[in-house]
Amino acid sequence: MKRELARHINLFEFSAKEVAAKTKPGQFVILRIDEDGERIPLTIANADEQKGTIAVACHEVGRTTTQLGRLKEGDSVSDLLGPLGKPARIEKYGTVLCVGGGVMVAPLHFQAQAFREAGNNVIGVVGATTKDHLIFLDEMETTCNELFVATDDGTKGYKGMDFLSDLLKEKKIDRVVAEGPIVMMKTVSDLTRQHGIPTIVNLIPIMVDGMGMCGACRVTVGEKTLFACVDGLEFDGHQVDFDELLARMKMYTTQEKIAYVFSEEEGRN
Amino acid sequence: MDAGKEEIRIGVFICRCGFNIGGVIDVPIVTEYAKTLPHVVFAEEGLYTCSSAGLDSIKKQIEKFRLNRVIVASCTPATHEPLFQKTCEEAGLNKYLFEMANIREQCSWVHMHLPKEATEKAKDLLRMAVAKASYLEPLTEMEIDITPSALVIGGGIAGITAARSLATQGFQVHLVDKEAELGGMLKHLHTLQPTGREASQVLREAIIAVKSNNNIHLHMSTSIHEVSGFIGNFDVTLQTKNSDQPEHIKVGTIIVATGAEEFKPVGMYGYKENQNVITQLEFEQLLRKRELKKPGKVVMIQCVGAREKTGRTYCSRICCQVAINNALHLKKLDPSIEVTILFRDMQTYGENEHLYKEAMENSVNFIRYDLNKPPKVTSGRDRDLIVTVYDTCLGAEIELESDLIVLSAPLIQHEDGRRLSSILKVPLGADGFFFEVHPKLRPVDFASEGIYVCGTAHGPKNIVESLAQAYAAASKASIPMAAKKIKSGAVKASVDQEICVNCDACVVSCVFNAIEASPFGLPKIIEANCKGCGVCASECPMGAMQLKQFKDDQIIAAIEALFKYETCIEQVGSFKPVILCFACQWCSYAAADLAGVSRIQYPPNVRVLRVPCSGRVDVLHVLRAFQSGADGVIITGCLIGDCHYIDGNVKAKDRVDVMKKCLGSLGIDPRRLEIGFASSSEGQKFAAMITGFVDVIKQLGPSPSRPKLGGEVCTR
Repeated sequence: MKRELARHINLFEFSAKEVAAKTKPGQFVILRIDEDGERIPLTIANADEQKGTIAVACHEVGRTTTQLGRLKEGDSVSDLLGPLGKPARIEKYGTVLCVGGGVMVAPLHFQAQAFREAGNNVIGVVGATTKDHLIFLDEMETTCNELFVATDDGTKGYKGMDFLSDLLKEKKIDRVVAEGPIVMMKTVSDLTRQHGIPTIVNLIPIMVDGMGMCGACRVTVGEKTLFACVDGLEFDGHQVDFDELLARMKMYTTQEKIAYVFSEEEGRN
Repeated sequence: MDAGKEEIRIGVFICRCGFNIGGVIDVPIVTEYAKTLPHVVFAEEGLYTCSSAGLDSIKKQIEKFRLNRVIVASCTPATHEPLFQKTCEEAGLNKYLFEMANIREQCSWVHMHLPKEATEKAKDLLRMAVAKASYLEPLTEMEIDITPSALVIGGGIAGITAARSLATQGFQVHLVDKEAELGGMLKHLHTLQPTGREASQVLREAIIAVKSNNNIHLHMSTSIHEVSGFIGNFDVTLQTKNSDQPEHIKVGTIIVATGAEEFKPVGMYGYKENQNVITQLEFEQLLRKRELKKPGKVVMIQCVGAREKTGRTYCSRICCQVAINNALHLKKLDPSIEVTILFRDMQTYGENEHLYKEAMENSVNFIRYDLNKPPKVTSGRDRDLIVTVYDTCLGAEIELESDLIVLSAPLIQHEDGRRLSSILKVPLGADGFFFEVHPKLRPVDFASEGIYVCGTAHGPKNIVESLAQAYAAASKASIPMAAKKIKSGAVKASVDQEICVNCDACVVSCVFNAIEASPFGLPKIIEANCKGCGVCASECPMGAMQLKQFKDDQIIAAIEALFKYETCIEQVGSFKPVILCFACQWCSYAAADLAGVSRIQYPPNVRVLRVPCSGRVDVLHVLRAFQSGADGVIITGCLIGDCHYIDGNVKAKDRVDVMKKCLGSLGIDPRRLEIGFASSSEGQKFAAMITGFVDVIKQLGPSPSRPKLGGEVCTR
């Protein structure tokens, strides 16, 4: 199944019985479109054990994601490995604030559902750069007890994240879970630090093997160096070195661009 | 005027420049050729287009033919573009709708003996200019109002001096210091060289002057909490100790004068283990407070924790002068005090050399030790200390008794400085000190406009040097504030939200903090900070980020136009490569111009396309050039380390290195792509670079992607 969530953002449902049977919210898969393809990690947005399917949302931002976006319903990928990473810690905390940005709202929704089922009062925040990039609004509306919407340009909901500091003052929040762009997770963590609210961020940096061997996905958390693939994806937002993470994410910008431009040009000819 | 929507009407003015162009290039042929190019409604030649008659003609034809794009094919834009742009403006045409083709410095002067080839090249350069002109857009220049007030961070002697200088010029100055009292390091020092005056006296006078100046607003026990904005309009949040309410101030410029601290060499030479082992700063404090118990034998050890093999590898510059000054002071207290200075190299430049000599004359002992055999300190009998040192001049180990050891430790950056660096988004160098943008051209400036540095925050220096730098920083800061407004040009980055995938590559790539990340990924351009290098546009994976006046469609139009040969079968059989050269508008373009001015002849196969920075050359531009039929592409930039946008040329080189690895997959030999660097004085080097590259391409033969004609590869 393929569903367009926004321009260049699609939700894919893959038949993967064994993966679906073991998937818990917060985990991810690594897939490869064809034999020569790049392996990309995607956080799982849903798993249906009965149907034997898992869902991932993907934003077309480079060569492989664009290639993935061009797949049609009924197409298949060469391989899909998972579930990888530790499941999210879902317990009854009281009130859980789930802040999602961009394409990552889809996997966050998977967690929000679990928090709700565990008996939490779930407050959701769905954010994107602009109105047209907001995804999973209906799903989050259904799942959360209360929902807030924010955009960078203010075309829908609150403009930016400033509203969050008022929200944190007004409501008694026991746990915050953020999943989205690095800058968003950093902003959220900076705000919650002042209120001393435990804050979990979901990090999915550049990965190669996804099983703790290569070290490409290392993140600095407090004094420690951890691997997102095996120690995460959940980390303490108040301890993560976001600036380092952002710099590491941009390590291969040139290569990524060349790969994208060249593949687009090859396709043109 | 919205030129984008109306019919494009281009006027071309070709200059003979007397004999300079007209003596080589067949100008009438080029003029006739111009008339055949798309959108060209008028073309004429002139003897000197830059003469008042020439300029009048441009104005007249703009009106007569309703021209909305003007091209002058003549000399280098470096000298004459402003003149022609002004002429366009006088005729009511936005100056950004003007384009130039350099057919003198980069054509007639460098192919003086090849009139036919020079004429062909002039036609190519003109065709490129016409193609780009069709895509030009009118732009508006930005003016920024400057708030005439400054923030000086740090109330040491550098900060005080800068603040006083600005306040005397009539500007409002906010002087902020984390401590309760002004003075910084000076509060702890005893005497100052070269005058020998007491530091406390110097400081007292300075503080009185600050406090009596109504233009200086003191914020003591205060730290910088947040800074946002840009030159002329910085919003600063100050946090004063024991105050709940942060204070907000608005300033036009910022001077960083946060000083440095002395490294505490804990664990070295018994420091902190034996109370008779102290640092030079602690020694000065004893002198200042008159608490020094007169010692009998003093050993001073230099370079303690400085000039190391790794870590603090730098020389702290002031320790030699300080040690000598303090040694002389001891000798003045009592000539019988034995003072020995263990040094690795004495660095007593300038006036200090006289003090060095005076110290030797006053029988201060100097013993040279080696980094690999550092002195050892052990406790002797009767609580005194024994220093064992291998004297490199004697070639033997000697033992020195001592009842006081003074360690000369380097100045280092402090935690507050590091924090400030991230708040202001200005860099620290490898040694941890604030790092200026260019050591010669902008020695007290950061890349972010409106922020300056002085004093030991920038690196170890003595008071004389700190003061000179403080005056320099104040005078640099006063320039925009006195002008009240600054022009910020129109060549700025702009982003297409529709295409942007919110990856923040542009944010990370910008060294001028001109692109801010919004929480959900929308890049926000701070136009006042944008310098127009276009690196962000080249880093953007999707082409969402663009640089006005050098947009992808404008550059690609010029590239594709180059390879649209109308008469391409003239010389089937003899291979004359066509090579595209991207030249940054600074050094490498100037080097190409200099080659022309110096009449250095090089092969006529290269066509230069001017870009703001080599870092603006996009993967896509190179690819399009090859796809259109380029036999070779060479990118030229400023020398590494001399980029006018800090490191655009390094980014260009990285990009070329990666591209070379990938070109093969498209059937293009990686040797067809090259990058070279030249300073503006290296015309000869530019010509040699081009000549060498043309040779390589000649050996490789015609590009497989050249346009084909009748089954045969067109070689022109």
